[in-house]
Amino acid sequence: MIPKIESGIPGFDELTSSNDGTGGIPENTATLIYGPSKTGKSIFINQFIYKGLTNDEPCLYITTDNGYKQFKTNMDEFNWPIEKYLDSNSLYLIDTISDVSEGIPSQSESFIQSCINNPTDIMVKFGSGVNYISKNNPLFRSVIDSATTLLAYNENMLIIRVLKAYLMRVNEAGGTPIIAYTQGSADSIIETMLKSMVDNIIRIDGENLYIEAMNGIGKRSSPYQITDNGIIL
Amino acid sequence: MNNIQSGIPGFDQLTVSELAEGGIPEKSTTLIYGPPKTGKSIFCNQFTYSGLSNQEPCLYVSTDKGVKQVQRDMMDFQWLTQNYIQNQSIYFIDGISYLSGGKFENKNNLVSSSVSNPADLMVKVGIGTRNVYKTSNHFRSILDSLNTLFAFNPDQMVIRILKAYLRRITEAGGTGLIAYTEGITDPKTEKELKSLFNNTIRLDGQNIHIKSDYEDFNEVKTLESAYTISDKGIVVN
Repeated sequence: MIPKIESGIPGFDELTSSNDGTGGIPENTATLIYGPSKTGKSIFINQFIYKGLTNDEPCLYITTDNGYKQFKTNMDEFNWPIEKYLDSNSLYLIDTISDVSEGIPSQSESFIQSCINNPTDIMVKFGSGVNYISKNNPLFRSVIDSATTLLAYNENMLIIRVLKAYLMRVNEAGGTPIIAYTQGSADSIIETMLKSMVDNIIRIDGENLYIEAMNGIGKRSSPYQITDNGIIL
Repeated sequence: MNNIQSGIPGFDQLTVSELAEGGIPEKSTTLIYGPPKTGKSIFCNQFTYSGLSNQEPCLYVSTDKGVKQVQRDMMDFQWLTQNYIQNQSIYFIDGISYLSGGKFENKNNLVSSSVSNPADLMVKVGIGTRNVYKTSNHFRSILDSLNTLFAFNPDQMVIRILKAYLRRITEAGGTGLIAYTEGITDPKTEKELKSLFNNTIRLDGQNIHIKSDYEDFNEVKTLESAYTISDKGIVVN
């Protein structure tokens, strides 16, 4: 039996249920969610981490697309408030994109700034984050939203190596990582590499969600909608 | 010519011929390739497990996943490896756990290396080959996969490492199975890569394509069949 964690996306755990009746994202495996831009990848991810936070599973979040302010606005739109989780340090946020001038909260134990074009710094801070969060929690969720921006700012094969190291560390610490990527934003070699590095692949195209691969279940699909409450299958 | 049992239900029946029973040609080299998530690692692990259950030792070089992950992936299919690690039927070279930040306890037959340090990797392949060769003059040798090697090293360097690796294991009597994800290098490198092997197996998610080059008989044989991935691993229909 493969242990699963709740996705938080209505309909998803039913879609991914296996013979033994459990559904969700296989615990301690790596997932890639990809598709064209503006199809709901970030919403999926945010919904996934909010579910974790409400279940007392902390989250290590590397944001490269939206700075803290935009990220908070996006969460508020769906009524997923994050302040209290930042205050209680169960949300560990590494913000690689906000400009210092943007009036973001000052750095704290669990709000860390880094820089999108400095993968070494991101990895160092991420390493501290993993240690911090896994110290007291055997289970946690870990997000990179998104690989697209990392690839845009850096040499691509370097980012593949960074992502490999990222996945190895999260896996070792017991976490469940998910990476977002915009389809077609890097060349096909990089895209294939990304897919080969993860265990599970989810593609969304604006109408349907496809499980292209998942440990223990194989291919499945379902239509989805984006509502006020997030993604619903 | 001798074939060894693949361990994949249906595969040996598909590859049976007038010359030999079906399976994977002994002491040959096989590239297993295809798009991501089509079952290449499952195939490798199934082949490994089949050998272990038949007292054939295995030299396993893992560059995509650490030893713990590989064991866990195998456990999903009820292929339990702990005993084989303990009784040293597997010689496991873990080329990636060094990135994980965890502690790695080196043992006689469980050694850490680094995918970004091909020289070290090859030294350990040398030691590993001698180690398994001592117990049996036929063994299975897995490299899963070339992907991470290509991500961490220049393409031509990977080709050179691979050539050295293939030479090493075939000289010692090993049967090599090497995994590679189609499309992660340019077409020229991919073509060169395929030319280094006696056999290629391509998995595309639905069909398995087998191509064997029998130099002695001056014959290239191709076979094709549908396959599925079940909770017992790959099944060729």
